[in-house]
Amino acid sequence: MKKFLACLLLLSLFASCAFADEPAKLKSIDQLKTERLAAQRGTVGQFLAEDLLGDNKARLLTTYEKYVDAIASLRQGKIRAVVMDEMPAKRFVSEVEGLAIMDEALSEENYAIGFRKGNTELVEAVNKALAEMKADGTLDKIFDKYLTGDYTEIDPATIDFNKGAKGGKLFVGTEAGFAPYELKVGTSYIGIDVEMCAAIAKKLDRELVIENMNFDALPMAVSTNKVDMICAGITVTDERKENMDFSDNYVVGAKQVAVVRADDYER
Amino acid sequence: MRDKFSRHDGAGRGDVILWIFGLALLYLLWNSGFFTAAAWQDFNRRFYQNFVKDKRYMMLVDGLKSTIFMTSGATLIGVAVGLILSVIRVAYKGGVPIPLLNKFAEFYITVLRGTPAMVQLLIWNFTIFASARDLNTQYIAILAFGLNSGAYVAEIFRGGIESIDPGQMEAARSLGLSYGQSMRYVILPQALRNVVPMLFNEFIALLKETSIAGYIGIDDLTRAGQNIQALTLEHSQPLVMVAIIYLVIVLFLTRLVRKLEEWLSRGRR
Repeated sequence: MKKFLACLLLLSLFASCAFADEPAKLKSIDQLKTERLAAQRGTVGQFLAEDLLGDNKARLLTTYEKYVDAIASLRQGKIRAVVMDEMPAKRFVSEVEGLAIMDEALSEENYAIGFRKGNTELVEAVNKALAEMKADGTLDKIFDKYLTGDYTEIDPATIDFNKGAKGGKLFVGTEAGFAPYELKVGTSYIGIDVEMCAAIAKKLDRELVIENMNFDALPMAVSTNKVDMICAGITVTDERKENMDFSDNYVVGAKQVAVVRADDYER
Repeated sequence: MRDKFSRHDGAGRGDVILWIFGLALLYLLWNSGFFTAAAWQDFNRRFYQNFVKDKRYMMLVDGLKSTIFMTSGATLIGVAVGLILSVIRVAYKGGVPIPLLNKFAEFYITVLRGTPAMVQLLIWNFTIFASARDLNTQYIAILAFGLNSGAYVAEIFRGGIESIDPGQMEAARSLGLSYGQSMRYVILPQALRNVVPMLFNEFIALLKETSIAGYIGIDDLTRAGQNIQALTLEHSQPLVMVAIIYLVIVLFLTRLVRKLEEWLSRGRR
């Protein structure tokens, strides 16, 4: 048994040194149709990758709970591209060495807040708050704050969660690994979605309570009434509309892109 | 297995294997440029980013607190539930007429041991306690892990009780003690002593099992590592750090169990 293990170890050592073939570099999205892809579980990135791969999806698509895991396997060469939202992709490319975003986007999406099917009262109240925020520039200000400068330096204590509000608590489910939309810093949260929800909570006179879950658990959480709404850069799709209600869009035209290794990409 | 690794017979085959492993690891590290000054600086810079900057180590500390809180709570529930269940099953076997309770205990143990803890946790959080929103999620996790652990502890206790010589029970009964009294004063104290090390092992297993609590939104130690990953986009260091923290606690607890075992067996002489 031990001899066998030792042989295996040596063999794998040799194998890792000896067989490293160089495939042709990536140029267009079309080439991804027969490559190993990854996406975050339950995201639109996963659906797009599935469409791209067609019948090969069972063999070629890997889904991860966290973007960090997907990017790690990309860097290790286990997969050739990660399909994800443009904003977090940009952050990865600027922070992690050796990554690139393919010029051609896979699609453009709109983000909205998700609610339990039939929770019309809250949807209307949130839509009203959103419309007011769009009109008076509050929303633009929040976006500007995160799209210019280093948002990881933002102090979460500056975000007013409207503690002790009379209208009760507003439970919002999110997945705090999706910067700049939501990110956990210390014991609290920052991000566009978080500040937007805080502003909405203020308008509804409710206290914002963030529930940080895995992305694929969010639809379950909102449909079982565990949280009032889910706000995590959620793309509006027809399929999702069947299972939950959406607010008006607060982000229009968010791109879905493919992140690849820079040395594997030919512009 | 054990004798091949023992120190007494010189360099056995086990030592050769260890050497091969060690050299292979060194070779791999060397190959990846681990021993250069630049790599060391890079390591330090990333370490600072991951754990020191903005007191990010506090995220791990808070996560650890939550992990230990859940583990302790779950162990208390587990031991209580396990004790009750095991006594029911043993008593029924010993002739006490409680068939319904016994059936329930059997059912409970079958179901909770027969389904993954992860699935149970999700069911507790999203189905049974779906509307309990003001309740701290940690309490739901404690309940889920505790009841799950109870099923395992019940079997540990049952083994402990059944390991006591039946003559003890007969002797106690013949001295005029009732079944309950003999159980309480004669059998259980001895059984407890037998099972304490195993209970500690269950505690250790639970500690590691709570790492799935992140799925229902609890920032336990594992999740704290993931939160740091999301913050710094660094993959390996936070995970390895989390692993080291778990390992240190488990090693400490294992040591404690060994000391406890020694202490318990000394009292028996």
